[in-house]
Amino acid sequence: MSWDVVFFYLIAAVSLITALGVVAARNPVHSGIFLILCFVNIAGIFVMLGAEFLAVIQIIVYTGAILVLVLFVIMLVDPEDLPSFHTAEPLQRYLSFLLGAVLLLEIGAAIVTRTGIVGTGTATPENVAAVGGNTQALGRIIYSKYLLAFEVTSLVLTVGVIGAVVLALPERLGERLNTRRGTISLSHSRGTDEALPEGPRGETPIRVDRNRPAPPAAAAQRTIILTKDPDAHTRVGQTSDRTRQG
Amino acid sequence: MGELTVEHFLFLSAALFIIGMMGVLTRRNMLIILMCIELMVAAVSISFVAFAWESNTLGGQIFVLFALAVAAAEAAVGLGIILALSRRGKSVDVDDLRSLRD
Repeated sequence: MSWDVVFFYLIAAVSLITALGVVAARNPVHSGIFLILCFVNIAGIFVMLGAEFLAVIQIIVYTGAILVLVLFVIMLVDPEDLPSFHTAEPLQRYLSFLLGAVLLLEIGAAIVTRTGIVGTGTATPENVAAVGGNTQALGRIIYSKYLLAFEVTSLVLTVGVIGAVVLALPERLGERLNTRRGTISLSHSRGTDEALPEGPRGETPIRVDRNRPAPPAAAAQRTIILTKDPDAHTRVGQTSDRTRQG
Repeated sequence: MGELTVEHFLFLSAALFIIGMMGVLTRRNMLIILMCIELMVAAVSISFVAFAWESNTLGGQIFVLFALAVAAAEAAVGLGIILALSRRGKSVDVDDLRSLRD
């Protein structure tokens, strides 16, 4: 048994254990860390298969970018929104085990009974080394034979970035800009006076219904009073009701 | 047992894929489901590279490169959806997400 096989079994065992850790961990952060370990091991598998460039890309893109993104989102999501750990219904769990076992049997049968396609290509290790290595060989193919697919990939990434930004935008970004217009107070240190009703924290004080256009009357009746004494005119903003009554 | 063959890698790829699939089927947290999908993509890419290694071609490696780009875009959009759901005060539990049905 050569060292290759020993290393393969070592890497395979660690990657399988960490993959099980991703599925079974109670804390999502632990799942993310397990996934990082698993991807590093998969990069090791790529090195064994002679795909050094892919191994480096795997580490940079997956563990460097995607997993950091996942960890950030875990921290941004309110912990109360996360479901408590429970592995589905028992029936669902047994069904998934059964499905997994059946699928493993099928794939195993397919692997064992298939006919090999040994050595039909020209990219033998000697040829790849003659070109200058794995990276150079991949680059020559990408920029000639697969150029169109490469360009389309850039389009896919652009659309993905735009979609992610649109999805992650705050819902009432436009309304927030004009809600507080007309209630500027020079005397208060925070720039707004207390007349506005207190909304829930983190939101604009005035309730804005997106489906209905904002009533135009409120802004017209509101008066701006410039004062140096903050206590003299604390109730500036609530004009609409009081002016009608008085 | 003596020499490293392509079957070794294919079986490893199948096992990783099935672990990821069982994670998708059994977990309810959307973040974990997204991570399991990433795991399945990586498992399939092992198969691609193994076949490319066996047949002495580079097409499999190119395909993995493209799959990696698509997986990155998918992760960005999926995490954006999770963030939007969380911000609208809904839960990240896939069993609770049935607003299209009700």
